[in-house]
Amino acid sequence: MKYLIFVVIAAVVGSVSLEEKSAPISQDDKVWDVLEQLGDDASKIKPDLTISNVSAETGYNLVTQGFSDVPGQPKSRRQSKHFVCTSCHNIEREDPDLTVIDPQARLDYVTQRGLPYLQASPLYGAVNREYFYNGDYVKKYGDLVKPANEDIREAVQLCALECAQGRKLKDWELESIIAYLWEIQLKMSDLGLTEGELNYISDAIEDTLSWTNANVILRTKYVSYSPATFLAPPEDRKIGTGLNGDPDNGQKIYENSCLHCHYNKKYSFLQLDNNDMSFNHLKKKMGTYDRHSIYQVIRYGTYSKHWKKSYMPLYTKEKMSDQMLADLRSYIEKRAS
Amino acid sequence: MIQHLPTKRPSARHFSILFICLFLFSVPSSFAQEKEAMDENGMSAQESKEEKVTQTFRHTRVINSHSIETLPARKMDFRIAHRFGDIAGNAGGWPTFYGLENASDVSIGFEYGITDNIMFGVNRAKGSGPLKQLVNTFLKIRIMNQEINGNLPFSLTVVGINAFSTMQKSASVDALNFFENGSHRFAYHLGFHVARKFSDAFSLQLNTAWTFRNIVPFGDQNDLPSIGGSLRWNVSKALGIIVDTTFPIDTDFRTTENGYYPVVGIGFEFDTSGGHVFQLNVTNATGLSETDFIPYTTSNWGDGEFRLGFTISRLFSI
Repeated sequence: MKYLIFVVIAAVVGSVSLEEKSAPISQDDKVWDVLEQLGDDASKIKPDLTISNVSAETGYNLVTQGFSDVPGQPKSRRQSKHFVCTSCHNIEREDPDLTVIDPQARLDYVTQRGLPYLQASPLYGAVNREYFYNGDYVKKYGDLVKPANEDIREAVQLCALECAQGRKLKDWELESIIAYLWEIQLKMSDLGLTEGELNYISDAIEDTLSWTNANVILRTKYVSYSPATFLAPPEDRKIGTGLNGDPDNGQKIYENSCLHCHYNKKYSFLQLDNNDMSFNHLKKKMGTYDRHSIYQVIRYGTYSKHWKKSYMPLYTKEKMSDQMLADLRSYIEKRAS
Repeated sequence: MIQHLPTKRPSARHFSILFICLFLFSVPSSFAQEKEAMDENGMSAQESKEEKVTQTFRHTRVINSHSIETLPARKMDFRIAHRFGDIAGNAGGWPTFYGLENASDVSIGFEYGITDNIMFGVNRAKGSGPLKQLVNTFLKIRIMNQEINGNLPFSLTVVGINAFSTMQKSASVDALNFFENGSHRFAYHLGFHVARKFSDAFSLQLNTAWTFRNIVPFGDQNDLPSIGGSLRWNVSKALGIIVDTTFPIDTDFRTTENGYYPVVGIGFEFDTSGGHVFQLNVTNATGLSETDFIPYTTSNWGDGEFRLGFTISRLFSI
């Protein structure tokens, strides 16, 4: 009897401790879920699901088609007449190494995955970034970027109003977009953690003294912002960047970037395609200060104006290096008759 | 002397049915459009963009005729078209500064793309035939789109036009605008346009159409079939040469002896790449609407009765 009581107590204690020990971290876990278990505060980034009609599905519709038509929920008005989020942002991962800013590696990666190569940073993992509209974007948007620098909601609204040239998002629309972004945050599998690191983080959850170290390990696996450096076009546009171009790489840029917006005038009134006339036109304009010069429009973009709100965003150094510009030029020259 | 042709009258009803049929034809196209939009999110851009031939013509009109092109979804086109007076001939030359001081026809209107394959438009035209002051409405549907891989070798578009004359009633029973019946103010046009883009530079279109007027001049007939052809040759990215012809098929009444001529136009089109398309043309047609220039072109190129015309088009995102 004495032994039986001991066995029962041992069983109860054992089962309680088993319940309390959390499941090991898996590669499918969202990074923010793990960070929260390590004591990080996600309350400012998490969607507010107490607002009615907020859902990730609604957010997906808003991001990809500019309005929401989820059955059983109110249908929203189109946010912009000119663009949708996916005009300029990918919603999938687009960097092979999340710790490195390398436009060429990104171009190769998205080409391999059949994605467009776009000016703006991907929405995938956006909630894992801490800063937005950083770097030289202050040159373009001035004080507008200040509230958006560390606030993802302000950043989304700035994008809606200025970048998409549309209307302000309503609360439930904004929170739905945040809910969708929350869904497409980085996963542990994106971080390239070693088995040892993964085990350390799993164990650290139980050990508050290890939270800081585990947190640091996680956060060094991805950049917390997308750097943005504005470059000027080459001084002599007829000569160009002076670098030798690779036409094959230029073809990737032309097809994944230029044609994404210009093919069949999708987002632009300038029609570009794979015929000689498109290449002849771009070659003819290349050395000029015209808005159809690749140097002019890639480095400066165009600006929205009255009666013509749609425009082309510029490519920063981190999105299009001078070498890539030289590659694009060499492809255009190769194809022009 | 005019002929008040009574009632092949179910015309209004017939045309309602026709428009409904056109709409029904459009349903598969609408679905295709929706599918494309969905693909845009799931499929690579390259895959979705290489299927269909685009820009067979730069604009929804060639010169006088509709082209197979439809406006992209949610784009509004504001169009102004003008036809001056005769450059030469009895009514042209120096006294009219080669026609520039006259206006054969002027139209102003809006057109809108409901989907990439369906558009409608409304315009007000001065009119140059016996029935003037026209309000033209039309529905245009792209039924087939030429494909790059060759499965569909051409594009097919159908357009239905309804012209309504707002002319004042004439007191003369012999006048076409006596308008004994309200339906006499209406004329209709149904056109089928088939086009193929043979190369980046060259596109060819064939047209066949049926025009129906509820009231016609004496000796004329209500039904008027016609055929035509149009071509575009791109000189550069921004500049194209366009040619447009229409031949009414009516060997009894519409003959050169009776003063009727086929419609022939040649022109240039400029795409500014900023949402504007300018067309500058020379044509013997005086009217701008199909229900006007197909039955009532009485100007002869050989007699110098051709005129300068232009069209200004500006696209807006709505």
